Amino acid sequence: MKASRAILILLLLLAVAFSLGTVLQLHAPRWTHRSPSESVLALAFGESRQLFANHFFVKADISFHSGYYPSIFDEARQAEENDNDVSHPDEKEEPKSEGGFLGPPTDWIDRFGRHFRPTLHTHLQGGNIREILPWLRISAELDPHRVEAYTVASYWMRKHLGEVDEAEQFLREGLRANPDSYELLFELGSLYYDNRHDAGRARNVWLAALRLWQKQESGKGMPDNLSLDQITVHLAHLEEQEGNLDRAVEYFEMAKKVSPTPSQLQKQIDEIKQRLPRAGTLSPH
Amino acid sequence: MNSILRTEDLRVEYRSRELKQTVKVALKGLNLNVSAGEVFGFLGPNGAGKTTTMNVLLGYVKPTEGTAHLFDVDVREPIARQRIGYLPELTYYYKFLTVEELLRFYAGLFEIPKLEAESRIDRLLKLVELEHARRQPIRTYSKGMQQRAGLAQALINNPDLLLLDEPTSGLDPLGRMKVREIIRRLKEEGKTVFFSSHELGEVETICDRVAILHQGELRVEGRVDDLMARYQCNLEQVFLKVVDYQPQP
Amino acid sequence: MNKVFAISGVVIKELYRRKDFYVLFVLTALITLLLGSVNFFHDDRIARYLKEICLLLIWISALVIAITTTARQIPAERENRTIFPLLAKPVTRAQVITGKFLGCWLAVAVALAVFYLFFGVISGSREHAWPVLKYFQALWLQWTMLAVVIALVLFGSVIFTSPAENVTICFFAVLGILLLGGHLNTVALGLKEPARTMLYTLYFLIPHLEWFDVRDIIIYDWPRIPWLDCLLATLYAAVYVALFLFAAWLVFRRKVLTT
Repeated sequence: MKASRAILILLLLLAVAFSLGTVLQLHAPRWTHRSPSESVLALAFGESRQLFANHFFVKADISFHSGYYPSIFDEARQAEENDNDVSHPDEKEEPKSEGGFLGPPTDWIDRFGRHFRPTLHTHLQGGNIREILPWLRISAELDPHRVEAYTVASYWMRKHLGEVDEAEQFLREGLRANPDSYELLFELGSLYYDNRHDAGRARNVWLAALRLWQKQESGKGMPDNLSLDQITVHLAHLEEQEGNLDRAVEYFEMAKKVSPTPSQLQKQIDEIKQRLPRAGTLSPH
Repeated sequence: MNSILRTEDLRVEYRSRELKQTVKVALKGLNLNVSAGEVFGFLGPNGAGKTTTMNVLLGYVKPTEGTAHLFDVDVREPIARQRIGYLPELTYYYKFLTVEELLRFYAGLFEIPKLEAESRIDRLLKLVELEHARRQPIRTYSKGMQQRAGLAQALINNPDLLLLDEPTSGLDPLGRMKVREIIRRLKEEGKTVFFSSHELGEVETICDRVAILHQGELRVEGRVDDLMARYQCNLEQVFLKVVDYQPQP
Repeated sequence: MNKVFAISGVVIKELYRRKDFYVLFVLTALITLLLGSVNFFHDDRIARYLKEICLLLIWISALVIAITTTARQIPAERENRTIFPLLAKPVTRAQVITGKFLGCWLAVAVALAVFYLFFGVISGSREHAWPVLKYFQALWLQWTMLAVVIALVLFGSVIFTSPAENVTICFFAVLGILLLGGHLNTVALGLKEPARTMLYTLYFLIPHLEWFDVRDIIIYDWPRIPWLDCLLATLYAAVYVALFLFAAWLVFRRKVLTT
């Protein structure tokens, strides 16, 4: 067969394949359970992507600590040491021994090996914090229902990198995948309050978060009290700033029920009550 | 005359890896003596022990008993191979190299100075008629070309002793003639050639002395003319008589 | 030594005439460039993820090149029967082992140099900085580690019958040491006797290849490793290289080779 004829046949076959591909692409989603908008990562990793999403989330934390991170063996050893430790819980805050989670070197190999790896507990500062973002992005890409990836990324972007628009966009992406997530709504509210200085929108979003929390968590045996504490305390501070002191008290009272530091909140309640107008002169909404 | 190649009571046993540990005796007390400047034919049917003898001489196999020397140096010493050239029966060389690179490599193993090595490579490629293919990878060569490349590498160090294992195996008549010519030329230069072959017609033509091995034992050794005179027949007939060949009725 | 260099020269020629290295380099480059083209939150100053992935690919590729190139040296010589004309020359088996080791090690050095040059270009394009000495340290330590791996694989190639077997076992051994070697002491301390002693003995016996993995130092911009520590690590590796090569020679010299 002449070369030119062979090339023409090849081109014809390519054209047929391409045409078939474009036609079948419209019908293919009906044959599978996959959404046509699923990403390459989702397709590549399949159902194990949640495992990888967790791995990349941890990678972000490793990156934040510049590689100084306990392995599963270090964590197991620390857990064992904590079980055997009878000292006061407050004393457990700081690592007692040399080398942080590493502990003192057990032999010369361990000692020498530490010259070749990070051994200091540090956090990324300033603009370097951006280095954790790719891992959080990939984690969210792999598991869109992992809300921490969105909230953590958004927090660092808006608080430390000044990338408020990107943070909001990412949060909204998370909300599209997780419309019932009170964590994401809380973070979005924080963005409006802290960065956009839009108390009205922040209030609306935080109230939506509170409603969702009450709908999902209130009936549970072990509800997510930390999130409730955060939402109500922030609402309380917002109302306090806006001059709605009675509402502020209301929210602080809600927070006090679940807060690990109720006495601190009680102090704030007492302080606000002192500033409240006398009974019968409540400010209108 | 100088003894270039000498074996004394050479015995080689192979132990089987099976549990019963059976022993196969490949050579039973071989005594060989090859003098300088002669062309020595090493004959025998398949399984006679010719290859085992070659393997011992080249240091691939350690003898169970006895000794083997090349140029009065024990074959187990690498220096014993400084003055020999070896052409294996099956010629396999690094396929990704060209014949030029292959010869350069082997010249490096003999620590031949670079200039001298280049000159020898040119001469050898002309001798074996591979000049036109010097820069082609060996994997593109025909069997005959590979055999000629093998001959060139066996001669790179200008050896005093050439060990050839079935040198004309697989060659066409022209190729075989070329090899015979080269052997004759080497003999004229005073080199010693030790080769095994099944081509008895060739052996009769070019060898000074022959040895016939059978079942690990040396059956007969001597000048070709003397053996033919003793047995009153050609070399092939001598061979068949020595190995106790019985024709089928 | 000339003979050793002659043998190593053939090994190097083989590497750059085979496709393995080029395929791995192109794959590394493609994946890195692809990931580098991804825009994370419209911030093109993000560099560490790219450095991490590039270095990971370099490590994987270098290990693959080192192990697969070395594993086939001696078996291929025997299978292709090129060992016979080689040993028919005035070359000792020790020189063959040394020559093969040197050839594989130098070939890997060439591969590493190309990989690290690429890495330098990629990281420099993001960070606009070239900590050359730090990169050199990383390259040197990785190359030193690969010397131990090559010597180990060479030893394996005279023990195991097939290259595939050798490659699999050595890959698992090397990966196991890299990932777990530094933690065996921690695990051992949590065990009861005699398992504790056995594991601790193993911990002391294995070559600690994880020392030579200094990717975190490069990725997270930690200060350079003290040169004395690099030297001591190199000497440590040299001891293991000598050990494995000596063991390989002890086995190889007794091998019966029959044509």
